[in-house]
Amino acid sequence: MSNSAASEGLSSCHLCYKLAPKSEHKCPRCGAAMHLRKTDSIQRTLALLITAFVLYIPANVLPIMITDQLGASEPSTIIGGVLLLIKLGSVPIALVIFIASVAVPLSKMFSMLYLCWCASQDVPISVRQKTVLYRITEFVGKWSMVDVFVVAILVALVNLGGLVVIKPGIAALAFAGVVIVSMIAAESFDPRVMWDNLEESLEEKND
Amino acid sequence: MTENKPVVSSGGGLSTIWIIPILAVGLGIWMVLYSFMNEGPELEISFNNADGLTAGKTKLKYLSVDIGQVESVTLNADASGVIVTAKLEKVHEDLLKDDTRFWVEKARIGAGGVTGLSTILSGAYIKLAPGKKDLAGSAKYVGLEVPPLTEVGAPGARLVIEAESASSISVGDSVLYHDYVVGRVESMEFDHKKEKISYGVFIDAPYHKLLNTSVRFWNISGFSLTASAEGVSLDTGSLETILSGGISFGVPEGMPVGSTVKDGTIFTLYSNYSDTLEEAYKYGEYFVVSFKQNLAGLVPGAPVQYRGITIGRVERVLLKEMVSQGTRTMGSAIPVLIYLEPGRLEIGDNSEGKKQLISIVKKGVEGGLRATLASGNLLTGSLLVSLDYFPDEEKAELGSFNQYQVIPSISGGLEQIQHSIAQFLKKLNSLPLENIASTSGEALASLNVLLSSEEIKNIPIQLSDAVTAMNAQKIPEKLASALDSLKLTLDGLAPGSPVYNDLDNTLYELNDALQGVEELTQSLSNVSSVLPSSEVIDPEPEVAK
Repeated sequence: MSNSAASEGLSSCHLCYKLAPKSEHKCPRCGAAMHLRKTDSIQRTLALLITAFVLYIPANVLPIMITDQLGASEPSTIIGGVLLLIKLGSVPIALVIFIASVAVPLSKMFSMLYLCWCASQDVPISVRQKTVLYRITEFVGKWSMVDVFVVAILVALVNLGGLVVIKPGIAALAFAGVVIVSMIAAESFDPRVMWDNLEESLEEKND
Repeated sequence: MTENKPVVSSGGGLSTIWIIPILAVGLGIWMVLYSFMNEGPELEISFNNADGLTAGKTKLKYLSVDIGQVESVTLNADASGVIVTAKLEKVHEDLLKDDTRFWVEKARIGAGGVTGLSTILSGAYIKLAPGKKDLAGSAKYVGLEVPPLTEVGAPGARLVIEAESASSISVGDSVLYHDYVVGRVESMEFDHKKEKISYGVFIDAPYHKLLNTSVRFWNISGFSLTASAEGVSLDTGSLETILSGGISFGVPEGMPVGSTVKDGTIFTLYSNYSDTLEEAYKYGEYFVVSFKQNLAGLVPGAPVQYRGITIGRVERVLLKEMVSQGTRTMGSAIPVLIYLEPGRLEIGDNSEGKKQLISIVKKGVEGGLRATLASGNLLTGSLLVSLDYFPDEEKAELGSFNQYQVIPSISGGLEQIQHSIAQFLKKLNSLPLENIASTSGEALASLNVLLSSEEIKNIPIQLSDAVTAMNAQKIPEKLASALDSLKLTLDGLAPGSPVYNDLDNTLYELNDALQGVEELTQSLSNVSSVLPSSEVIDPEPEVAK
């Protein structure tokens, strides 16, 4: 009843999701290469996650936005901007920026890390919980680009010649890198690996 | 089940995807290393206050180019000032030398006009002036409170001018040469040890070549009105210097041009131009003259003259020395120290001239040279010391007072006049005016008596009698008879009288005789024209033949 396709000797096409016997190397429908699971799923995800973590450091340390006001340029980092907004009383905006640029990418990366770890190890945690976590991660990841968009819009919008000019900082690039790399990491993660392990252990129990 | 296993854990080796995080880490490490290697030097600048300075915001600029940034602004250990920690970009490390100067550039209104207007909007920044190339760098600097007035590394000369008082010269004032601006006052501080104001002055190239050891600086700020023994004088500079002050310099007339000066040479600031001339000579000798007179009006610096030519000046009144010498006798003469300069006598402003001056004075005193107190200016009441020869005075020699030689003095000049007027009045006072008045009164009374006597009254009557006596005599009658006889004589000569007729006949005969002479002359002329004439045109020579 809870048998997976793999245990039935079938593999799914990555592109058109057609089930085919796993002895097939090409999808009988669309001709794409057939794999039982995504290749090196956990390794790839881990590698990309580490890249995202590395990129996350300059994204927060370096200035994301440089405000040139009457010749006096003022760089601001993400956290600096959040703190400034709180000081200025705009707590909701500060909250939005904080969630979009700190809470979401970090929680996404950490939960991905946790899922990878769970997939490689046999952890006694309910499959349902892991699945929910995976879903949330996938959903939430889309929103982490907000910060990059804010900078991009401000740069385009605020350009008053010599009065006020906003320039993107190097951190904007790093932050975009974090978001993109973590998205790819989420994509390269094959959630079925988690369930495979579970099934194995269940089967072992059954045996 | 077992055949599925290899498929699930496919590969087993490391995936190529690891290149990505390795690349990211490598990039990160490189960035860190790069920024670490390009880390510029950190330096500490101390200022009196952090006005306008913000950590992480204020820039370090040189020629308006950003070359660094203020990292932190903190109070110093004893909270008496601030320490600004700034980071310079590595490429500009060379600008940092021991004598690099830092100051905060902000909007200022100074002698040179309004500066730093751009900082009103953009905020203050720290400006630096790089030091000399051959010096080592340092990490701690003391920032200037005011920007240096002279461009960094500008050629010229820096001097120190010392003055007794700050007068009206302030930082930024001009230094003039022949009324042309050649430099400016850069700094000003009070040296409490010397009790003098010392001005740092910068003379721009090429005018620093005008400087030499003979040059004198004087204050031309505002205007000075001086009333001295030489009269009242008003000195002013240009309108600019009247308002803002300034220093002028030049070589006093008659001074030889000195040797070149080094940076940091100390000069004295004279309060006006005439003062520079006063002390234009280096060599001189002190003498003492003593006066028993009122010295009000004899001020230090009053001229010492020889027959109207200034040969020195009054140094001061030696009152202290007089008291310490214990001159107890009341009303003794007050010694006055005078300073005579051989240069003024044109016998050479050197030690040779000084010796000569002393011998001249010595000989002079033997020959009757005496000092007198003379009135320099009746309007201001100032006095001067005058030296002159008084051969009639008693013989004297140079005396001595402390270490000084004393030129004997006599009361003279105004004092002498005062004295003679007093004597005259004394004599006038002693005249027997009352006696004279009474005797003349008596004389007039006797004259009156004389005039009113009888003899005087009879004089007119006697005169009238004499005139009547003259009328009574017969002088007119004799005159009338004399006139009658004159008339008779004239009547004898009248026409019809025998004398008259005789004279008439005689004249008639004379007339006839003359007519005959005329006829003879006529006939002679006819004869001459009848005579044959030869080639000769002129008939008269023919006649002569």
